[in-house]
Amino acid sequence: MKSIKKYLVLVLLAGLGIFPNLKAQNDLQISRVFELYGDKKGSVMVELTDEMLEGYDFSLFKSITINNNLPAADYIRKCLAKDEAGAKKVKQVVSNGVPTSIYLQLPRKGQLYRLILFNETYKPVQKITLIYIESKNDSEDVLKLILKKK
Amino acid sequence: MKIRIKHKTDFSQVDYLIEKYYDGLTTVDEEKQIQYFLSQPDLPERFEAEKDIFGYYDHKKKKPHKSILPYFRWASAAAVLAAIVFSLQVFMNTNRSNYACIDGKKIYDVHQIKSQALESLQEVSSKTNEVEDGFKNLNDYQLIEQQLDVFSGL
Repeated sequence: MKSIKKYLVLVLLAGLGIFPNLKAQNDLQISRVFELYGDKKGSVMVELTDEMLEGYDFSLFKSITINNNLPAADYIRKCLAKDEAGAKKVKQVVSNGVPTSIYLQLPRKGQLYRLILFNETYKPVQKITLIYIESKNDSEDVLKLILKKK
Repeated sequence: MKIRIKHKTDFSQVDYLIEKYYDGLTTVDEEKQIQYFLSQPDLPERFEAEKDIFGYYDHKKKKPHKSILPYFRWASAAAVLAAIVFSLQVFMNTNRSNYACIDGKKIYDVHQIKSQALESLQEVSSKTNEVEDGFKNLNDYQLIEQQLDVFSGL
């Protein structure tokens, strides 16, 4: 009887642990960036789902722009470095030894292609932009579309 | 025919039945009689072996019946809880709202959200282009040439 109870509790705990991961971004370190800086002063966070992004055909678009926050930039770079470990494709621009522009093509999660874009500029002010995209289209096509719509 | 055995009075009948038992000739009824006899306290030591044999069967017989009702209770409780958690998760996933959060203030105006999204896209697209261009412009031949140039002055 005791073992049955233990078993059921374990199943429940496993369930509670697994269900939150249904959100594809939750396995990524950058999800912490959105949680941490999303509602801070000087930040602009956007979350859009499919019905509003018809032109781009994204399932999920999530972005955050942070102004004048060097520690945030360092934190994001650390998160990206961890997410980079599981990335399929990585492109980056390094300026003075620091990556200022990063593109990560992540492995598919279910039917969704996922990619992360990061950019940091210093002129006129220090500005960080981090974007997370989920799409049913191939990441390369998504990137091409972004560049085309520039 | 039923034989009621009182161990203090008559062991011979029991001995006879036990012998019959070992020969494999006892009936179910007779085995029950032996069992009844052996279940009595203060029996002589010579019946210890038979007590063990019949005691085993007796123990097996008296094994408490486990009710599966508590298992069902636990299983149903777990199922209900899992269903609630799953529903919440599905609800949360399907109910992803479209919003922008500017300086900690949430806005739900579609046009504003879109313009903010496009702004951030443009911010990265210019730089991504730089990366793409950089990759296009740079090829192995140029790289090798550049690296060899360093040694040309030597």
